[in-house]
Amino acid sequence: MLLQSIILGLIGVICIVDSRLLGRLNFERPLIVSTMVGLALGDLEKGLLVGASLELMSLGLVNIGAAAPPDMNMAAIIATAFAIFSNSKAETALTIAIPISVLGQMLGILMRTILSNLTHWADRLISEGKFKRARRIHIIYGTGLYALMYFIPIFLAIYFGTDLVKQIVDAIPEWLTNGLTVASKILPAYGFALLLQTMLTKKMVPFLLLGFLITAYSGLGITGVAAFACIVAFVMYMIESRSNHSGTDGGDADPLEDL
Amino acid sequence: MGKEKDPNNWKYWQFFWRSWAIQASWNYERQMNMGFMYGIAPILDKIYQKPEDEAKKIEAYNRHMLYYNCTPQTSAFVLGLAASMEEQYYQDQENFNPETISAVKTSLMGPLSGVGDSFFQGTIRVLAFGLGINLAQEGSILGPILAILISFIPSFLVTYYGGKIGYTMGNKYLSKLYAEGLMDKVMYVCSIVGLMVIGAMIASMIGITTPISFGKAFVLQDVLNSIMPQLLPLGLTFLMYWLLQKKVKTGWMLLACIVGGIVFSLLGILS
Repeated sequence: MLLQSIILGLIGVICIVDSRLLGRLNFERPLIVSTMVGLALGDLEKGLLVGASLELMSLGLVNIGAAAPPDMNMAAIIATAFAIFSNSKAETALTIAIPISVLGQMLGILMRTILSNLTHWADRLISEGKFKRARRIHIIYGTGLYALMYFIPIFLAIYFGTDLVKQIVDAIPEWLTNGLTVASKILPAYGFALLLQTMLTKKMVPFLLLGFLITAYSGLGITGVAAFACIVAFVMYMIESRSNHSGTDGGDADPLEDL
Repeated sequence: MGKEKDPNNWKYWQFFWRSWAIQASWNYERQMNMGFMYGIAPILDKIYQKPEDEAKKIEAYNRHMLYYNCTPQTSAFVLGLAASMEEQYYQDQENFNPETISAVKTSLMGPLSGVGDSFFQGTIRVLAFGLGINLAQEGSILGPILAILISFIPSFLVTYYGGKIGYTMGNKYLSKLYAEGLMDKVMYVCSIVGLMVIGAMIASMIGITTPISFGKAFVLQDVLNSIMPQLLPLGLTFLMYWLLQKKVKTGWMLLACIVGGIVFSLLGILS
């Protein structure tokens, strides 16, 4: 069991490395990881079947932007293993997969919050001129933490059994999950504010608001707004070129002091 | 090939691998900021080799620690373009405003992630796994293999050529823009696009709401929505902006975000 737990943990590492180091080549998807689990545990057919049903179920869950959907990839590894161990059907694997995917989602939120702190550490290292160490935070600490985030829960779940996983999920107080969810929504606002520090000048505020209003009122996506923005930029460019200001002062330092 | 080897070849491969690795430290606050810094680091190290350039190097590294988020595959293009801009900035520090680099990055990441995500996550993934599931259900190992191949090939091509095109295009056109004194205008135009995209992101990616209500008669979120949808995310962003202008330390800000999230959620003020 120990060996199997380690092997499945390593499949988990492959799964997370796909999106961390390989630009998301889709090796992380349930169809692929379940097949790998099937191969590792000597029941390829079961792996394929469980993988296909989990994949079908989660095809709609897209892992982009700031959203952290339930982690079906981690769940697929554990659920496939249990389906093979307990010789149960693919449908049974689905019921195990769902609580695990929620646990994985929460770990994901926690990890991305921890990494927000590491970003400040990297800032500090850069200002001290320790570039190599700053880079290491990204490529070694980042990758390492994400790998552990997959390896440890998968290892424990296989080694100790699903009951443990269910107990952990139940033991996490609801206020903490809700609170972390709210925090995960506040943090991007902070990120945007940091970005605006370098870009926003008084003269440019209307454009920020224009983009905001278009999306807020119409729900238009970012690509759509970008298309409109190109036209606005073109029109403004024409206007600026006509008026006799030689050049523009869009980039001048004129921080918005008070709002 | 018979032709001379491109001396910039190593850069294209750096853009390639480092775009793929851009998510290794994905975090809530600035998302792929460290990934971008890591991606452009070899170029910066190459540019700023002299000891007297240390301060400039720190500045350049900091420049690429700002918020960044884009599809990894299409990031290679941005990385290549930013790299060529950094090189030109070093050549011509008098006339080149380094803020242009951030503006170009920001204006590109919105459209490129829109196109990239819908292409890779929407089109390619659904195609690859739609076919894959079909074969796997019949018990064929070809299912997952086919899904991997369909996912891999476009991803490889877009990343490699994206980086290469971004870099060469930047070198060719940017110097021309400078010579004609058009860079300020480019900056202005890029800032408009960038800011409008950030505005759209504030409206669509923060998604914070309030559950405060007194019976059915008064639901605060409905009142807020009738004033302006997404008012809370906008207010929150401006609050953060204001605090940053007041030079509140980032560590405190971060702590406040997390503790504030838990407290406001417990009090039933935000959700």
